[in-house]
Amino acid sequence: MASVGGLQIANAGKIYDPGGIHVVAVDNVSLSIPPGEFCVVVGPSGCGKTTLLNAIAGFDQLTSGTIDMDGELLASPGKKLLPGPDRMVVFQHGALFPWKTVLWNVTSGPVKRGQAQMAEAADKARELMSRVGLQGIDDQFPEALSGGQKRRVEIVRALMSNPKVLLLDEPFRALDALTKSVVQEHLLELYDFERKTIFFITHDLEEAIFLADRVAVMTTRPGRIKKIVDVDIPRPRDHHVLTTDRFLELKSELGEAIYEEAKLAFEAGERELA
Amino acid sequence: MNATQPGMAPPDLTRGYRLARWLKSLWGLNLALGVISVSTLAGLWQFAGPLGIPGLEDVPPPSAVVVAATDLLVSEQYWNGWLKSFQRIGIGFVIAQFIGIPLGLAMAISRGAFGTIFPIIEILRPIPPVAWIPISIVFWPTREQSVIFIVFLGAFWIVLLNTIGGASNIDSAYKRAALSLGSKPRDLFWKIILPATIPSIVTGMAVGMGISWEMVVASEMIAGDTGLGYLLWQSFQINAISHVIVCMVSIGIAGYFSSGLIRLLGGFAAPWQRLH
Repeated sequence: MASVGGLQIANAGKIYDPGGIHVVAVDNVSLSIPPGEFCVVVGPSGCGKTTLLNAIAGFDQLTSGTIDMDGELLASPGKKLLPGPDRMVVFQHGALFPWKTVLWNVTSGPVKRGQAQMAEAADKARELMSRVGLQGIDDQFPEALSGGQKRRVEIVRALMSNPKVLLLDEPFRALDALTKSVVQEHLLELYDFERKTIFFITHDLEEAIFLADRVAVMTTRPGRIKKIVDVDIPRPRDHHVLTTDRFLELKSELGEAIYEEAKLAFEAGERELA
Repeated sequence: MNATQPGMAPPDLTRGYRLARWLKSLWGLNLALGVISVSTLAGLWQFAGPLGIPGLEDVPPPSAVVVAATDLLVSEQYWNGWLKSFQRIGIGFVIAQFIGIPLGLAMAISRGAFGTIFPIIEILRPIPPVAWIPISIVFWPTREQSVIFIVFLGAFWIVLLNTIGGASNIDSAYKRAALSLGSKPRDLFWKIILPATIPSIVTGMAVGMGISWEMVVASEMIAGDTGLGYLLWQSFQINAISHVIVCMVSIGIAGYFSSGLIRLLGGFAAPWQRLH
């Protein structure tokens, strides 16, 4: 089990104020993620999950509260934004650089930072990629890959930097159901291999339970933590887990909480449109 | 037990083969259709005069154009026309890139630059480049320079706007990913903004090249003393319509080559776009 990458989110809040319209995106969220935990946050669209992730990543500032990693302050109101290789992000719509080859995409981080020689980085990249079923695509451009391949390459790119925390922002949202289940298993494979702390966002409940050690349900705007549930399904897990009694129990327990929020979010959306 | 019989191709291969064969037959069909449609058009054109199709009595038939072409193809003036037109395109178009691309990038990056320059652009851009010809003749010391200036204008606006558009619509996830990977904010221009804008620049160049040819022909007609556009207009003045048609076709071919050149350049500058 990893000993680094513990996240401490304390009373985190974010208020957007575009043109004087006060929007509370994240409201007083506290969440403690021990090193090596796979934590999944579930919530309806627009509940501030991504805002929280962006604050951890150093892309966006909080307006209240603090986020610490291993006792060091990462984010607080007014603190300089400092994204870095210790917190790698896998983006919702993907952010592999289309103008560079796959191998360049996954190796350039550590090589440019002087942490590895090119040959060494390429070896490690090939090893990680073959672990998730990617072979012979080194010299391809990302656009030549399928959606599922791109997501795996992007996860490998993130791991290549040996981050303390891996932040995934609804990474499998655009994938079809079959591809999704394969790529989820690949992610678990990589997780079981390195046991990095993972902060994963989704609005897909099954995905959350399948992947997580702990699932945190967020409320619709303003985003708060509504419920936290431990997923006590043993690892390593594969898709057979999806039909076990325990999985279905957890699903119904969490499903109720999520449905309430989804309904509220939907109604709020209707109101905004009306 | 083995499901595949010896000597039988696996199903995938058969399917791939059938697909390839089908595509090939489709290509053959398209080629045949193309030959038929083009020769029908040529035939109709050839016999339009004798058949008395109204409006086409004075248009020389393709056979006369071919005779005129052999005339022109040995004349020095004709080849000099190619050279001159290409020179003007070359100079005007290249200057437009050298000014348009950096200016567009600067405007996309700096709010100040955008705020200062954009209003001027919005006033000048709707004026068609041809409308600039008289002023251009007055302003520039030589006719040559005024023609080049019009060509420049033809390519300039479009590459400028494409560069601004491309560079200001870059997905912020690329910049964020680069920052996470360890890039400094000041590196983002070379690492992200420039490469991400190249496809838009290439598109601007392709469209700009087309407009440049329109402009070189128009301005040679009015202000030139050489070039394919000038030759076309001269041929018209002496009622050598066959020569006019040869010039038209020549300009079409020249434009086609120029676009090919841009495509080649684009494939070189943005190899990842070749997939599309």
